[in-house]
Amino acid sequence: MNSETLYQFSTLTVVLLLLAFYGGTYLMTLGIRKKNEDADAFMVSNHRVGFGMGAASMTATWIWAASFYAAATSGYTYGVSGPIHYGLWGALMILFIYPFGRRFRKLAPNAHTLGELIHARHGSSSQLILAFSNVLGSIISLMVNFTAAGALVSVLSPLSFQAGVIISGVGVLFYTLWSGFRASVLTDFAQLVALMAIAVVIIPAVFFAMGGPSELVAGLGNLTAEQANFFSSEAILKQGAPFFVAVLAYAIGNQTISQRLFAVNEDHIKPTFLTATIGYGAIVIGLGMIGLMALTLGIQPLNGDMNNLIPQMVSGYLPPIFIALFFILVIGSLSSTADSDLSALSAIMMADVYGKNIARGKADPKRMLLVGRLTMITATAAGIVFASFSLDILVMLVFVGALWGAIVFPVIASCFWNRVTNQAFTVSVLVAMVLFCIARFELIDLAGPGGLFFELLASIGGGVIIGLMVFGFLGRAAGFIAGILALIAMLVFATDFLRDYTVLLASLTAYGTSTLVCVVMSLTSREEFDFDTIRERVGDYDDTPIEEPVATPGDTPVTANLASQR
Amino acid sequence: MTTLLAFYVLIWPAMTLGVLVVICRAVMRDRRQAREENRELV
Repeated sequence: MNSETLYQFSTLTVVLLLLAFYGGTYLMTLGIRKKNEDADAFMVSNHRVGFGMGAASMTATWIWAASFYAAATSGYTYGVSGPIHYGLWGALMILFIYPFGRRFRKLAPNAHTLGELIHARHGSSSQLILAFSNVLGSIISLMVNFTAAGALVSVLSPLSFQAGVIISGVGVLFYTLWSGFRASVLTDFAQLVALMAIAVVIIPAVFFAMGGPSELVAGLGNLTAEQANFFSSEAILKQGAPFFVAVLAYAIGNQTISQRLFAVNEDHIKPTFLTATIGYGAIVIGLGMIGLMALTLGIQPLNGDMNNLIPQMVSGYLPPIFIALFFILVIGSLSSTADSDLSALSAIMMADVYGKNIARGKADPKRMLLVGRLTMITATAAGIVFASFSLDILVMLVFVGALWGAIVFPVIASCFWNRVTNQAFTVSVLVAMVLFCIARFELIDLAGPGGLFFELLASIGGGVIIGLMVFGFLGRAAGFIAGILALIAMLVFATDFLRDYTVLLASLTAYGTSTLVCVVMSLTSREEFDFDTIRERVGDYDDTPIEEPVATPGDTPVTANLASQR
Repeated sequence: MTTLLAFYVLIWPAMTLGVLVVICRAVMRDRRQAREENRELV
């Protein structure tokens, strides 16, 4: 998709830029490399990652290439409020998970994945459902990021799409393969610093180069009434609401988040996630403003492709050095997310699949490391192949979204309510998926009583989302009241209305159904689970001494293993 | 209106800069603490 209008780098320049980026990142990881890596550290570092590194890593991981393009598209499509309706909800995904994250960490301080916690709580079937949803999500994420690299390279240089995909895939694998999560966190910091510094420069640079505030005000005449309205209902319904529904689902269903919840120093979880929320929101909304600028100037996206908006604006108004900075910005954002996905996938295969289901308590740390590294190689290859062939992943995306929605309540309830059973978890998710499919693909007529039935379930889903969000911050009573109020509001406004919006109806149905089934089945059970047993069941795998840097004279050598440190 | 819109656009890079400073300072602190405890940063 090479373009004549956009600035074009020479092949040599792009290759040198990529070489500098991936070569520099690789060199960084050499500083932390150990001949014999520790299996636990490969998955979650030392459980004591500091506030600064943790916040940087969380922010960098959550910002992927699509964040910029989608925020700019939102600004261009919905006008003044568009960037907010993309960036704000994405940021809240980080914010709303931390109260639950603190609970996860309290229950299983030595866990590596959320699946391990669920395994200790319920057993294999519930754990594997969660692990499966995590794997699908990370593979999709890898594919999307490699695709973005290919598209960027092909738009700004004579290199082909496939070349961009392969270079980015191999580059990310190269620096993540040996040290896993540790390499991911360390490089996330460097990538985020570059990303933020570039964003700080590029946004005002484009703004003033296009004519500044006066030009923006003059261009407001090009906007429709809805686009000019900060409280546009169209922007809320079409952009904000679907994102809002996904806030908890994305956070629960994403191992990259839970991995950081288990890696960060327990005392720093709150400031880490708060800072990441603000950082993510500021960068993404800021870059989304470039879409708004393009709209006010009356610019048409090149070839009708909205993803060209930011490159067009940067290319059209700024000198080539800024285009090179933009190039690094996108490569940095997609690489930081891709390395986190590789680390997440390796941790799932190491802990959830090998550790809990194959080795069954007799895991060999060296074999675990091998499993993790082979997973990274396989996942990279899969991501490159899927991206290169531009496979249609819409159906996969639909199912992953539904699965994430369906597991939200069972996962959270399992960590707070001692009566939830493995059967309730598993059956509720499966029933929710079936009913989701019926609603999403309209397998029954939604015009009659069938529509009413699904609107009822969706209303429960709406109540559950609001209730859980409030519960996370304000506790059980407030959450319950908020959930009931939201349910009543949904029943009033959604009845005979929501059936026309099948995507939203089906998503909410997944939440509502899994909650209903899980609650009913749990209430009929007599099980009362002792949460203290989780801590005993989830531990470390590697007892070999940690390789520490050479101690300076006078220092006390520390060779204690991870388990004894905690 | 002009000032308001300028603020609306420029507040985000300003916030980004603020978070960048906070994170960099915190990482320096993390690094110092790790050295004092004779352990690695990550």
